[in-house]
Amino acid sequence: MKELEKTKRISIAATLFILAVIIGLLTYKRPKNVYAINSKDTLEKITSANYFTTLEELKNPEYVLIDIRNQYEFEKGHLENAINIYAAEILSDDNIKVFDELKESNKTAILYGNNPQEVNAPFLILYQLGYDNIKLLTIENSYLQNKLITKNSEIEKSEADITAFINESVKKANATETVKKEVAAPPKKVITIEKKKKAEAEGGC
Amino acid sequence: MVKKKIAKVLAFRYKILAAILILLAGGLVLLPKYQKHEGIKPEELLSNTISPERYMTTDRLAHIIINQDPSFILIDVRDEKSFASYSLPNAINIPLKKLFDEDSEGYLNQNQFDVVLFSNDHFYADQAWILCNRLGYKHMRVLKGGINQWYTTIINPMKPAENMAAAEYELYTTRKAASMFFGVVYPEQVKVEAPKIVKEAPKKVITIEKKKKAEAEGGC
Repeated sequence: MKELEKTKRISIAATLFILAVIIGLLTYKRPKNVYAINSKDTLEKITSANYFTTLEELKNPEYVLIDIRNQYEFEKGHLENAINIYAAEILSDDNIKVFDELKESNKTAILYGNNPQEVNAPFLILYQLGYDNIKLLTIENSYLQNKLITKNSEIEKSEADITAFINESVKKANATETVKKEVAAPPKKVITIEKKKKAEAEGGC
Repeated sequence: MVKKKIAKVLAFRYKILAAILILLAGGLVLLPKYQKHEGIKPEELLSNTISPERYMTTDRLAHIIINQDPSFILIDVRDEKSFASYSLPNAINIPLKKLFDEDSEGYLNQNQFDVVLFSNDHFYADQAWILCNRLGYKHMRVLKGGINQWYTTIINPMKPAENMAAAEYELYTTRKAASMFFGVVYPEQVKVEAPKIVKEAPKKVITIEKKKKAEAEGGC
């Protein structure tokens, strides 16, 4: 009797355990999007590979333009033959399908937005997901009388030499010190003349 | 004979059960292969990157540096050459290529300080931010517009036109004061003596003005 109870309990526990494992297996979902490369490799790739394109290189028939701005801006004006995929929805099923198709057909997706900085994030995320057939179009968009104007822009260009600017300002200040004192005299005369004029106007009232 | 054999097998029944359970448990270890991809989910990463929360303005950064806020670390992700020619005060240079070096991890993956990444623009700083965010590093910020924006707003602020709002003038004076803090010298700064001489002239004018006022009142 005792032996029978023991086996009963063990078999119940065992079936429950196996059931739990099976349920776990069935409900285990494969994540929808999986990174294909880890961060270290990504870093190595983005610092060595050239993934920029310019307007001049767009003539390549293998290139497909993708506009990552929102629909409103896309409709306001976009480059010829561009597809609109808004940056925030870039990982939705339909859009991922588009990228998959492009990859299968060996075409290169060219992402662009209002400026290169805006495209940076969607580009990098897709890149980490393993879409190495994408490039970034380095352009800046602006509007003139509701017409879209695009021009090439250089990435991370240093606009000014700040050290030189500061040194220059120090030098200038020292140089003008002596000159300014001499110049200071004439303005005094001007001020008194102006005041006389004012007096005349008030008298008119 | 058959019964004996069954009995023999049944004697091991607990061991067999245990073996099956261990095998299944072992299977569970092999299962999460998909999650081997490190970091947060791509969807989460996307929503993090879309939000502009990470950006810090140059005015705010100037304020932080001037007040010597100890809770911030500045990290310059440009190459060594640009870093040597100019960088923000007390910035640490971690070129983008060396972002995941062992030495840099101590600065990036910690909970004590707020890290501000910057480059010439915010393109490379953003890339560094995205890679770090994927690994779940907290307290990271990006200087919006980078060094270029720093130059046009803090180091060399544009004087507002005369028809602009008073707030613009206030902003200009704070920026100008900040630029002086960062070493820019303005000609007016040295000219302090000159205004003193000019002040003598207005004194004379004041007496004239009073006379005018009296005349105007009489006219009314």
